[in-house]
Parts: sequence; C-alpha cells; structure tokens
Amino acid sequence: MEDEPLSGSLHSLRGEYEGIKEIYRTRRNEMPEAQVKMNVRGAGEKASIIDVEGELTAFAEGVLMDAYNQASDGQVRAIILNFEDMEYMNSSGIGLLVTLLIRINREKQQLLTYGLSDHYRSIFQITRLDDAIAIHDSEEEAVRAANSA
Amino acid sequence: MTEQTPRDETREEEKQRREPRDAAYWARYAETLKVTGVAEGATNINVEGRRAVGPLQGFGKLWQKTYRVSLKDAEVTPVEVIKTWKENYKDFWPEGNLFYAPLAGITPGEVALISGSLPGGVKLSTGVMVLYADDESFSLMTPEGHPFSGWITFSSFEEEGTTVAQAQVLMRANDPLYEMGLRMGGHKMENEMWRKTLENLAAHFGVNEPVEMNLVCVDPKLQWSHYRNIWHNAGIRSAIYTIAAPLRWRRNRARQD
Repeated sequence: MEDEPLSGSLHSLRGEYEGIKEIYRTRRNEMPEAQVKMNVRGAGEKASIIDVEGELTAFAEGVLMDAYNQASDGQVRAIILNFEDMEYMNSSGIGLLVTLLIRINREKQQLLTYGLSDHYRSIFQITRLDDAIAIHDSEEEAVRAANSA
Repeated sequence: MTEQTPRDETREEEKQRREPRDAAYWARYAETLKVTGVAEGATNINVEGRRAVGPLQGFGKLWQKTYRVSLKDAEVTPVEVIKTWKENYKDFWPEGNLFYAPLAGITPGEVALISGSLPGGVKLSTGVMVLYADDESFSLMTPEGHPFSGWITFSSFEEEGTTVAQAQVLMRANDPLYEMGLRMGGHKMENEMWRKTLENLAAHFGVNEPVEMNLVCVDPKLQWSHYRNIWHNAGIRSAIYTIAAPLRWRRNRARQD
C-alpha cells in the first residue's frame, strides 16, 4: 500500500525542518573545534590539577575556563596546570593563560605548572609568564608547593 | 622523595627529544632585543638592548581589544590573507605611522622599528619583536618603553564559509604617563588605527565591509609596582633625542674639524 501523500503545508514544514537540520550539520562541521582535552583532579585539600592534553589555541578558551570552574570548587587555593601532554601552543594559547592568571589572582588563588618541555619553558621565558607563574619539574613538587603556600 | 623508574626516564627523554610542531613558529629566547640592520629613516634609540615585555609587566588596566573584518565574497583563504598581511604590513597602516619591516621579513625573533606619533604631535621611535609566526597568524611583542606592554596577534580563519581577518591586542599601558595618555584620547587613536588597517587590508582584496570592534577590560587594576617603567618611556626619550639634535650636529661638526 502506498503512503498517502502529505498535504502541501506539511511537505513544506518537513522541507524547512530538513533545511534547518542541514544548516546545523554544516555549521557544526565548519566550526573549528578545540583539539584539546582537560581533565580535572584534586591534589590535597587546597589544590586542583588540570591535565592539558592536545593543543592550546584560541579554540581552547571554553574548555579551559570550564576546567577552571570545575577545579576551583570548594576551598581550592591553588590551580596546577599539567602540561606533560600538551602537543601544540600558539600565541593565542599564551593569551589564554594570561586571562586565566588574572581570574586566578582575582580569586586570590595561585597558579602553578609542571610538565613543561624545554621548548615550552623557553616560551614562558620569552613571554615573561615565568615572572608570575611558578614552574615546577614534577607533579609532586608542584603539589607540595601548592599545599604549603 | 619518589625515585624515577626507567619507564619514567624514557618517557621524559622522549618528550624532550620530540620537536614540538610549533617549534619553528616561536622566537628564540634572548635576554634583550637586537636590531639587525636599521632601514634608512628609522631611529633605533628605544629598542636595541631593551627587554620584550608582555601584559604582565605593564602598569595600566589590562585590555583585550579585538578588531575583525569579514572578507565577504573575496576568493581568498586564511593562508593567503596572512601571507599578504606579512608581506605588505607597512602598507596597510594608516598615514602618520611608519613601520620599518625587518630585512628577513615577519619571521620569529626579528625586530622591526616603528616611527609613530603620540597625542600632542610628539614623535615616537619604538619597535616590536616578532614573537610568533605561522601560516595563519603572527604576533608582535613590544619592548620596554613602548606605549603598551603586551602583544598583538593577527590571524585569519574561516567562519561560516567566509574568511575573516582579525587583529587582537592584549595590553596594558606601560607606565602612568601612557595610561593617562590612553585615557585622554589614546585608546580612541589606537582603535582608529586598527580599524583603518583592517579596512585597508579588506580593500586590498576588493572588500568594503565594516570593521567590528570588541573592547574588554580584563583587569581594571593598575599595577603600581611597575610605575618605574616610566624610566624607559620611549615618548620622553624620543622628545629629548629630537630636542638634542642641534647639539649632536654641533658635536659631530666639531669632531670633523
């Protein structure tokens, strides 16, 4: 048995719906996605660690700020960024770290890092982020510094 | 203290050996700036030997200013936009400001000299260092004494099928005098300068679209611990250099005699 044809108005409604779905599909494909993952975990009573995995670029802003909000719950006084698995960072990524640092300072918290390769340590020096962000060699050292502050 | 296991050591060694993808795009660290070759007409009095400074070393409020233009209907990719921008950087600047591009072009670590003007007609000699440059973006960082402390990133990307060109400044006024200047018309001058630059860039591709501006004060606090930055103020030093021109001329003449 053949399907009964839809009335003209229903046809056009279904057409519009499919059209809208197509626009969203296209937009989703065209929108640059953040090639980064951030995992938040506790490190003692006063500190939280954010593991940064992938690329730190302008597109990581939402992910980084969400991770910070999650990490700074409760009595957290220090945020530790783990850069062991960071694969790429451009100048917009450095800009994100500056704005994160301002937010952290405003909340009277402290920002620490560990896991920076020689290359990224050098970038922290050039941009002079190392004036304000404490760089540590290991997680253990960073956590100790965070919890003793 | 926990001892490192052989596996940890291998991982660490491997990480250090692996060249990151962005390695070639960043300037190498140097304690102070070095200008290689001064173009005719340029003055290198406030750049050589100065340190590069970021948004954390400035005095004034921290601003993030974004200027962008949509290159609607222009058949141009982000890579082509940035290539053109790098090659013709000085031509897109509005009149009254001169950019002396480094001999090697806009490549990481190179230093460019600038001759600009401040409110009140004061001539300013300063410069910028190329902090980062890849195919779709590049960033310039300022030296001590520059009106602002920070960096400006020029980028291009696709947004909903259209190529967009963007300039984003992250900056603080370098010292109390510059902060006052920015509040008394300096911000307006700067906004106008970047608006005009983006209009010129768009016009190069045959586009006449309005430039969108988004100005955000990220941190309204003044960093009083950095008030001494005024010692390097390039505006004051440029003015003294100009006033002292006759003395230098007489001294040089006396030496020749």
